[in-house]
Amino acid sequence: MSLPGWIFRAPFLTAVSVAVPWFAAALVTGYRRHMRIIGCIAALVSMAASAVLLREAPKGESLYQALMLLFSGLTLGATLVLPRRDCTVRTISGILFLLGSTLLAYSTENLLVLLAAWTLSAIPFLIPGWFRARTWRPLAGVLLSSLALALAIGLIATGTGVISIESLRGQSPGGLAAFGLLVVAVIFRKGIFPAHAWVADQAEGGPAVPTALLLNGHFGALLVAKLIVPLFPRVDRLFPVLSYLAIGTMLYVAIRALGENSPRRLLAFVALSQSACILSGLESRTPEGIAGALVHWVVVAVSTVALFGILRLLEVRFGENLTASKHLGLAEHAPRLAVSFAIFGLALVGLPGTLGFCSQDLLIHGTLTSHPLTGLLLPIATAMNAVSIFRLFARLFLGKRRTGFTVMADALPRERWILAAGVLFVVLGGLFPNAIVVRHSAETDIAEQAIATPADLDLAGKVNGLPGIVRFLPRPAKGSEQEFMAESQLR
Amino acid sequence: MSHPQTILMFVVLAPGVVFGILASLWLLGWTPGERFLSWITGLTFSACALGIAALVWTIASVSNVTVTFGNWFAVGDYHFPLVLVADRLSLPFLALAVVLSGLIGQFSATYLHRESGFLRFFLLLHLFAFGSLLAFAAGSFDLLAAGWEIVGITSVLLIGFFQLRLGPVENGLRVFGVYRACDIGLLVGVFAMHHWAGTASFDRGFPSLTGARAVIVCLLLFLAASGKAAQVPFSGWLPRAMEGPTPSSAIFYGAISIHAGAYLLLRAQPLLAHSVLASAFVIFVGVATAIHGTIVGRASADAKTSLAYATLTQVGLVFIEIGFGWKWIAVVHILGNATVRTMQFLRAPSMLHDYHQMHSAIGGDVSSAGQQIEEMLPERVRLWLYRWAFDRGHLDTSLDRWVIDPLLHISAYLAKLDRIGMARTTIQSRGVAPIPLHGPAGLRGD
Repeated sequence: MSLPGWIFRAPFLTAVSVAVPWFAAALVTGYRRHMRIIGCIAALVSMAASAVLLREAPKGESLYQALMLLFSGLTLGATLVLPRRDCTVRTISGILFLLGSTLLAYSTENLLVLLAAWTLSAIPFLIPGWFRARTWRPLAGVLLSSLALALAIGLIATGTGVISIESLRGQSPGGLAAFGLLVVAVIFRKGIFPAHAWVADQAEGGPAVPTALLLNGHFGALLVAKLIVPLFPRVDRLFPVLSYLAIGTMLYVAIRALGENSPRRLLAFVALSQSACILSGLESRTPEGIAGALVHWVVVAVSTVALFGILRLLEVRFGENLTASKHLGLAEHAPRLAVSFAIFGLALVGLPGTLGFCSQDLLIHGTLTSHPLTGLLLPIATAMNAVSIFRLFARLFLGKRRTGFTVMADALPRERWILAAGVLFVVLGGLFPNAIVVRHSAETDIAEQAIATPADLDLAGKVNGLPGIVRFLPRPAKGSEQEFMAESQLR
Repeated sequence: MSHPQTILMFVVLAPGVVFGILASLWLLGWTPGERFLSWITGLTFSACALGIAALVWTIASVSNVTVTFGNWFAVGDYHFPLVLVADRLSLPFLALAVVLSGLIGQFSATYLHRESGFLRFFLLLHLFAFGSLLAFAAGSFDLLAAGWEIVGITSVLLIGFFQLRLGPVENGLRVFGVYRACDIGLLVGVFAMHHWAGTASFDRGFPSLTGARAVIVCLLLFLAASGKAAQVPFSGWLPRAMEGPTPSSAIFYGAISIHAGAYLLLRAQPLLAHSVLASAFVIFVGVATAIHGTIVGRASADAKTSLAYATLTQVGLVFIEIGFGWKWIAVVHILGNATVRTMQFLRAPSMLHDYHQMHSAIGGDVSSAGQQIEEMLPERVRLWLYRWAFDRGHLDTSLDRWVIDPLLHISAYLAKLDRIGMARTTIQSRGVAPIPLHGPAGLRGD
């Protein structure tokens, strides 16, 4: 018996990938048993739906489907690796709620839905007793980013009366004010300097694994890719500001991490620093830079969630007062966790043989081509991050054994298998990167053609016949900035 | 694929495959015994040595052996070529890496018997061999950089081999920092080649790189080479690296790793030939390193450190030879130095035993070796030199004072900025002490 055709249609599959986690979150809240199993099944269904969506997507238009698959896979891994102590109704329901919201944000082409998804994904981090941190800065960061996005979308919607992203492409809707508000939303959500501190506060004061998932939705980069660049192609001379902000954050946070002793904060700083260069790559407008940024997105997401997961496992086993100010010698008790930590950490900072090496290589080439100074600072910041992550590894795992507790288990089979899958992904991805790079390369090849042929930008500023990622590449056009300024003043 | 190509591929990949299989099995719960590890190591490197012999035969009779796998990854105009080359320059280094890795493997099977990190050592030895073979057989600077990084990370992990002691762990971190800082030169240098010459492959010869461009690329590559070869002013990490087990010190800092920088410069020789300025700089740093090595080595109190400085002196001389363009003299010098130093490093733990044996055989005191050259200097100068040598040329203290301390101060200042608007109690909410102004000690290697 064959399945009906509508099952394989994009709207149905997208609805399944979004609705099933939300339904499962509600089920977990009501049923309050078998939380991990329900969470895994929901994430698995989302993953399967995303995989079919990715398979069915046309070449060059599969970016968001790939991100959906990545995020649902991460959620599945996080649900499996979650320590039993953390496997509560609130945690599982919150993670599933976050999954549904994030997939909705990835898949939507509607401004209001994007705003709703953006805000919904933050809700577990706003409610006391759910994932909210003890300090005010995460609350402020998330709220301000949502407020800025709401204002920007309000400006766009009231100015044009249109809420479809596709219809607004290239029209610079809302003028400079909307553009500025969108950038503010990115700064607050992504933790770009000077709004970086909330990320570390959330990592330290909130639950480790859900926080890692929140950060690795990379909504800031998503907003750049989905709205800022495709909607405002005429302000291409202002885009380097994003790149400079990103590289500034990367350096600032990398230096900050050098002296940090709280493992969670240190990890948050390194993750933030490494993820900031995604913006630089996207903004570089070179095929290498864009492909590097997209591959780096994958690497940062997988490595960061795994590192936070391992750190949480260590906290559960050895106490929550872990510190990088002295050597704890945990490798004697947990050698497999130590090796996994080292591999994910080194992948995050670009060790050869891991996928991180390819992404760093492409990013450095891309950014050096477009902004030599940025490209030069990128490897410097990465080198500092490498030192920080190695210092954290050395302090946590090496040195004299701690005394005063009984022998603790190394990675349990459930944890071991999921960590091994992650290690295999970053290592096999590094050995055979073409499988991942080529997918993005297909999009950036067309992007290159788009940059070279500005003629197909018609009078209305719409991009014709250019699929996928190309659409968020601004074409260099002389005088476009002045035109845009004049236009926004007229409005 | 012809037989020589298959053999070259096998020689380079075999240690990597063994590492991958053993590491995966261990991650999944299986721990191989010492005998098996020793056997598989011997088998791997013996087969590789046979392969090298076959390649030597091929190159002597035919020509270079090149294996092209296509591109590792490619985006737009940029591609990362996967090309292995066995030519007259790479083959001696490949042979050195294979033979010494095999010897070290056999030596370590006894030396590290019942050591808790026995498996870890052998895994890292295989990974190191793979990295060094990849770097030496690379057909482009891109691939060389990949092998180069693998050598660096295995080196650092082996320095921290005795992980229960704080000294090796902290010194490993210090070496890692120096390596990563200097490797920026290699990454940016490779980019510059792609940008200006359109390729980083050795076979094209970089005809378009001349003048200022050639100087910039050479200096960037030289930065990376200096870091790996512990040239002045980066020599401070070398004595710290002696914290690792003796077999790893022998192969890394007596033979392969420390000469990798010289190999990089030998590969960049066509570029160096175009740049008098860069060549002069290489010679200058080589001279400075040779003098630094010989003076500091004389004041070193332990056998391994003084051997390391003896190696450093010779590597400084090798850099001078490369700067002058005496390529083949440098290659012979490297091979001789690497072999002798490996033997000396491996005998270092038995030095007292050897001395006593010699003493008994002679039947009296061993006669003095002769007058030391420094005794010809005035006492005041000797004292000053001794103090300078005792602090290892003040290189580490300068690095601390001018690079690491300022960075940590900035970090502490930024931490203060981050605390604005935060109650002190929330900062310490997870039981973490506030960051002291001088930052953590580990980076400084205290």
